[in-house]
Amino acid sequence: MRKFRGSSHSRSRRQFLYRSAGGALAATSAALAGTTGWLVSPTRAVAADASSAVTPRRGGTLVASWGGLEPQALFVPGGGGSSPFMTSTKILERLLKIDEKLAFQPVLATDVKASADFRTYTVALRKNVLWHDGKPFTADDVVYNVQEHWKPISAGVALKALKRVSAPDAHTVKLEFSTPVPEFFFKSILAGQYQVVVPKHLYAGKDIITNPLNNAPVGTGPWKYGQWVRGSYVSYTRNEQYWNVAQPYPDKLVVRWWGDPASRSAALETGELGVAFSNPVPARDIDRLVKTGKIAVDTRGYENAAWTVTVEFNQRRDHVKRREVRQAILHAIDRKFIIDTIYFGRGKPAVSPIFRTNALFFTDDVPKYPFDPAKANALLDAAGLPRKNGTRFSVNLVAAAWFEENAKLGQYLKQALQDVGITVKLDSLDRATSLKRIYSDYDYDIAISNFTAPLELVPVVTQLFTTDGIVKGAAFRNATGYSNPAMDALVDRLTVETDNAKRQKLAHDFARLAATEVPLVPLVEMESFTLSRTNVRNATTSANVQGDALADVWLAS
Amino acid sequence: MVMRLLLRRVLQAIPLLLGVIVMNFCLIQSVPGTLLDVMTAEQQVTDPALIERLRVTYGMDKPLWQQLLHYIDAVAHLDLGYSYRHNLPVFDVIMAHLPATLVLMLASLLVAVIVGVSAGVVAAVNVNTWRDTLVSIAAVVCFAAPSFWLGIMLIILFSVKLGWFPVGGMTTIGMDYGTGIASAWHASLDVLHHLTLPALTLGLFYAATYARVMRASMLEVARQDHVRTAQAKGLTRRAIITRHMVRNAMLPVVTLLGLQIGTVLGGSIVVEAVFSWPGIGGVLFDSVMSRNYPVVLGLLVLSSALVIVANIAVDLVYTRLDPPIRTHAS
Repeated sequence: MRKFRGSSHSRSRRQFLYRSAGGALAATSAALAGTTGWLVSPTRAVAADASSAVTPRRGGTLVASWGGLEPQALFVPGGGGSSPFMTSTKILERLLKIDEKLAFQPVLATDVKASADFRTYTVALRKNVLWHDGKPFTADDVVYNVQEHWKPISAGVALKALKRVSAPDAHTVKLEFSTPVPEFFFKSILAGQYQVVVPKHLYAGKDIITNPLNNAPVGTGPWKYGQWVRGSYVSYTRNEQYWNVAQPYPDKLVVRWWGDPASRSAALETGELGVAFSNPVPARDIDRLVKTGKIAVDTRGYENAAWTVTVEFNQRRDHVKRREVRQAILHAIDRKFIIDTIYFGRGKPAVSPIFRTNALFFTDDVPKYPFDPAKANALLDAAGLPRKNGTRFSVNLVAAAWFEENAKLGQYLKQALQDVGITVKLDSLDRATSLKRIYSDYDYDIAISNFTAPLELVPVVTQLFTTDGIVKGAAFRNATGYSNPAMDALVDRLTVETDNAKRQKLAHDFARLAATEVPLVPLVEMESFTLSRTNVRNATTSANVQGDALADVWLAS
Repeated sequence: MVMRLLLRRVLQAIPLLLGVIVMNFCLIQSVPGTLLDVMTAEQQVTDPALIERLRVTYGMDKPLWQQLLHYIDAVAHLDLGYSYRHNLPVFDVIMAHLPATLVLMLASLLVAVIVGVSAGVVAAVNVNTWRDTLVSIAAVVCFAAPSFWLGIMLIILFSVKLGWFPVGGMTTIGMDYGTGIASAWHASLDVLHHLTLPALTLGLFYAATYARVMRASMLEVARQDHVRTAQAKGLTRRAIITRHMVRNAMLPVVTLLGLQIGTVLGGSIVVEAVFSWPGIGGVLFDSVMSRNYPVVLGLLVLSSALVIVANIAVDLVYTRLDPPIRTHAS
């Protein structure tokens, strides 16, 4: 029995998504040609009707923040993490976005068409779009980004099969691939976290990584760069020439940073802060803030950037390289206790590398490892690892303490594993040291780390398990050294399969194989949340809200 | 004589700065993990070709001794290097944040000196009475309470409950200060408004130390001959305390002040975080955590220069407060 958030309703939506993203594109777009010329899901249309009863108010200043710190530069080519993702995406736009209903929506592209063999994609670009300096946005800009930005820096692995990119006319871009490319995968790249479009006329011929413009970006987005007071905030002004003439609604947007979660909480209470994304306050503070009646909590908008905490087993080390030992260890871990105690109940036990929030690919039909120390002990005995002087063997556990929860989880795991006779040497390490130990030196037996996954599994999730995901020094990739021809073959098929039903089945096979072999195991699907003042409307309109352009947001008086 | 003192100190500063650079370079290189690890992790770089490209961009393809020599050469030319993390020259990064920290530290030291010295004097002249006990208790509380806790308590009381002060920041975002002299006045008032709580939080912590030191120092001075002489001359109690005791008792406080100016750059990290004060503390912390050594080294070079300047200033103040020291110094 599959469980989806929103049950049958969301399943029909999912099937629709598949139709729209899939081969039946011609039929669907014909059916909707009369409306928007784009593939809009029915639920989205209904929601739009319902909300259009209230006219967004213009004016006001919105102050936004998030649960982390100031970015190093406002735009970092290649990503730079969540913080520059938030500051750059107000100014720089992507071609598509994935909305909160998990459907693709047009941004700078108005249409994306696949050829019959799925080796060529034709992207129609929006007309009459201006860069903030007044120059027109054209296909040349997109070609430049594909060649000089996405392919070499921000989406190299995803665009591996790209052969040629060209601009047949000023508003069309053609991409040709050496293998078939699934449509959902391709659109996910266009809507991806790092595939913003930068202006060719300001970047061409210069090193994109060190361009001073990265600190004061010029884009096509609803917001123009205003001022960056380092250490405090960046302000944006409304782009009066935005292609969507009605947007944005507030006069001004400010992204501001507080280094301390308690101050963030106080700023929400006083109204100095309007909306705060990505877990801005400790989970235990949420109820208190909501009780004031001035603050609302929202857990939507993180489907395309779901976080998990993982245990990773180094395949180069004795004992943990054996599958039956890993499975036994998993039986010794009480995930419910972890969620209740360490995450204050804000999370769900993970069953595979595909999360429940990923309604497109999730399956519950995978091997599971319920908390059962007796079984763990029995399995370890059966594996030929009996207790001698109370201990079976010892392991080195590295907890990457970039989240305080990881350090606590390390302490819990030490205790839990000792309960089944495994001696643990625990190292809770800071960010740079953890990255080096786990991903550069592979110097650990078991590691506690995290990853964040978009809806599309290739390449972010699959690379954690494939042989070509083993890249020394590349973080959040296959650091365990797990290598299995069956897994590689499965991912290869997932990468080129263009039939959505078959692709979903392959994804389920992937989840099952990953949950059987368990080289890397997500323990908890961490819940992300947004807090906002109750007068802030429409702050959550995409599947990765921290990078939403905030064009739809408005402030009720 | 003062010039000779100055010259000697400046000459002494050069090997000191060199030592600071070499020592810190070695220390930071010996910490596991590099800027490359952190930056590629943040950027989710998996392409080996791009990792190599970044290594060359960051200058990490060269051997360490070459990087160090290159850095010393650059500093000699007053160039602190380039921060790839901020996409800015290191000097610009520091200058963007340093003024805010200096304002905060000077304000809190002012609070500390005024509150601490007064409290110390009050405690000393009322020794072993309830006033003395009260000052001691207050000093222990201010010293023992963690800065972040004190800061958050002040925020909850004065910002959330009473609404008198803002929750953080240094200025009101988007405020129009007008033009001309009036604008400077309005801007100063605005900064002062934002400065009050953080300066109190940090200032009360230092004040506690000053109060204790001043109290002890006053009690010691009270036993000295010149105070007894002044009493014998029949001077008023007020004149004895202000003219004969406080002036002499200030010496250890000035020493402490000189030392604390040296901690300006690092000491305010917690308070800056609580009040989102746009200072250098957060930058230093992030730079250490991300192994962004050009910024760490640049800050250390600048702060050692600042410590040297502060100490020269303290020596000069000494010579004013206590003339005999002048003859020793020269």
